[in-house]
Amino acid sequence: MYYHPVQQKINNSEPIIFIHGTGMDHTVWTLPVRYFSRKKTNVLAIDLPGHGQNKDKPLDSISKISTYIYNFLDKYKIQRCSLVGHSMGSLIALEMASSRPERIKAISMIGTAFPMQVNEALLESAKSNPQIAINILTFMGYSFSSRLGGNKTPGMWMTESTKRLMQKSKKGIIYKDLKACSEFTDGLDKAKKVEAKVQLILGSNDFLTPRIKAQDLIDNFNQPLVEEIYGSGHSLMMEEPNKVLDYLIKLFKN
Amino acid sequence: MKKPKDLNLETLSLHAGNKPDSDFGSRATPIYQTSSFVFPDSETAAGIFNNERAGHTYSRITNPTNAVLEERISSLEGGIGAISTASGQAALFLAITTILGKGSHIVASKSLYGGSHNLLEYTLPRFGITSSFVDFRKPKNIKSAIQKNTGLIFGETLGNPGLDVMNIEMVSNIAHQNKLPLLVDSTFTTPYLMKPFDYGADLIFHSATKFLSGHGVVIGGLLVDSGNFEWSSNKKFKTLNEPYNGFHNMKFVEEFGPAAFINRARKEGARDFGACMSPHTAFLILQGLETLSLRMEKHISNTREIVSFLNEHKDVKSVSYPELEDHPDNKLAQEILPRGCGAVFTFEIEGGLESGKKFIESLNIFSHLANVGDAKSLVIHPASTTHHRMDTLALKNAGISESTVRLSIGIEDINDLKEDLDEALKQANR
Repeated sequence: MYYHPVQQKINNSEPIIFIHGTGMDHTVWTLPVRYFSRKKTNVLAIDLPGHGQNKDKPLDSISKISTYIYNFLDKYKIQRCSLVGHSMGSLIALEMASSRPERIKAISMIGTAFPMQVNEALLESAKSNPQIAINILTFMGYSFSSRLGGNKTPGMWMTESTKRLMQKSKKGIIYKDLKACSEFTDGLDKAKKVEAKVQLILGSNDFLTPRIKAQDLIDNFNQPLVEEIYGSGHSLMMEEPNKVLDYLIKLFKN
Repeated sequence: MKKPKDLNLETLSLHAGNKPDSDFGSRATPIYQTSSFVFPDSETAAGIFNNERAGHTYSRITNPTNAVLEERISSLEGGIGAISTASGQAALFLAITTILGKGSHIVASKSLYGGSHNLLEYTLPRFGITSSFVDFRKPKNIKSAIQKNTGLIFGETLGNPGLDVMNIEMVSNIAHQNKLPLLVDSTFTTPYLMKPFDYGADLIFHSATKFLSGHGVVIGGLLVDSGNFEWSSNKKFKTLNEPYNGFHNMKFVEEFGPAAFINRARKEGARDFGACMSPHTAFLILQGLETLSLRMEKHISNTREIVSFLNEHKDVKSVSYPELEDHPDNKLAQEILPRGCGAVFTFEIEGGLESGKKFIESLNIFSHLANVGDAKSLVIHPASTTHHRMDTLALKNAGISESTVRLSIGIEDINDLKEDLDEALKQANR
């Protein structure tokens, strides 16, 4: 398992673990990781198997990925941790928090919904012609306004940056990730089992995981914090990095 | 499922990067003519400085007006991000120094703009960076020029002023086989005529002074990163692969992945070299970009007519333009530059140097000056001006003789331009 920042001593710690979404890697978390590191909080932005610098074999289900992360935690004797997940990463956080509730202190689900069903045509594209899937995911992954730019991070063109990250992912990864999201079941029952503090950060203009499709999840968690970012699409860390950070700070303040 | 449709160049030229101003609803991009930005509190200040928060600190490094321009050029080129600089030369310098240092080597096209040639041939060696200049039409020459310490391949989409058309796909293949990035000067073509990233270029820079701004009112440069090059594949790029003491031991490849280059360029080069663009300049370039497609269309149609007119003129020895069948890159130009080969070209006047001088001095509409890409038509004698530092061999390599005249065709009425040229040619040979 690859994690950033690599120089950290993580044995026996209680870190915040950042889990990326489909076709992405740890670099989507650079800003919050730098913040929490400066605040002397242990943070790990991981690359899921087959993503980024993680050379392990890609996994095709949320539960397998959760087990994989738990194995990693066991290896480093990490008994408890908090999880921040975006999109597919949010489902992994939910699975982990429901399967071993005693080990998770808090979860933040960013850009999430249940079910996270993926259109058959998109799945087929991801399998046969990933570039088409990348184009669709990028297009749907931003609000219309953000597709025209106006990035808070000066000089960076968001949609092309997202495409590039996905283009660099290994063959078959996007299909496996989307399939894992689509086949994730019992999300509402799992939500009920979560004991950790729960936060959902949602974009009002999210076309991939529309705000309305998070409502059932919200209703099944025990008193979740719901933060809605007006105008943002699905790529919240890119579209509204400062607001996302502020909400994470709010969650982890104590 | 409905196929996603990316916006076209004509739309992006007007809108990319800009949102109506949130304070007053200004539709035009506001000019943030400020050196620095007020922080709401110390914690936010620390966060922006430490790259935890997005935001602006000081206009040498970033500025909201410039950021709109940077996003816009990135969108037009298909890049992930860009940096605006004080000039095209500053953009070239920033590109080179972000990845190279003492002991590095560049393989460059022998057909370069005189200013770029000066930098590589005379100035950079003082800082330990040397260059070899080769004919980019010959793959063998490029391959054999690559040394152990080579860190960059560099050429122009259209060589200045000989208009060699760079076979970007071929050159980028050679570069990538050697785990090297290809930097392309795309000033003459602009994204309207060609997008070098589509053919494998890794980095692009523009002198935005030219067609992008289009009115000859500013000096500015833009450096664009495709985000495609695998910097981690070649450990010789130490600035991106190793911890940087100048920014809390940041490892750019690890923290930014595909955006490692452009982040290093901003966090080091923009910060330390200081060759930044004024926000007012950025605004003027944005204004120019809004009409890029309209202007380029007219530049090209006028150029095609003038090329044809001069090619048949009795007082003209030869015309060099890639759309002409006798140009060595005619076939390649048809493939990669179907919308046109730019609006700058050279011709050889009958009568040599003296005729050339008389011709230039006899023109009325064409302005005699050292620039190209203005909406107004321009003329210059390269051997005595833009390329005067080159020796005879270098001039020959760049396709320049003493009787070479360079024209930059503007968007005036075509008949007025033809009459001006015709009259000046008559005067020159009287």
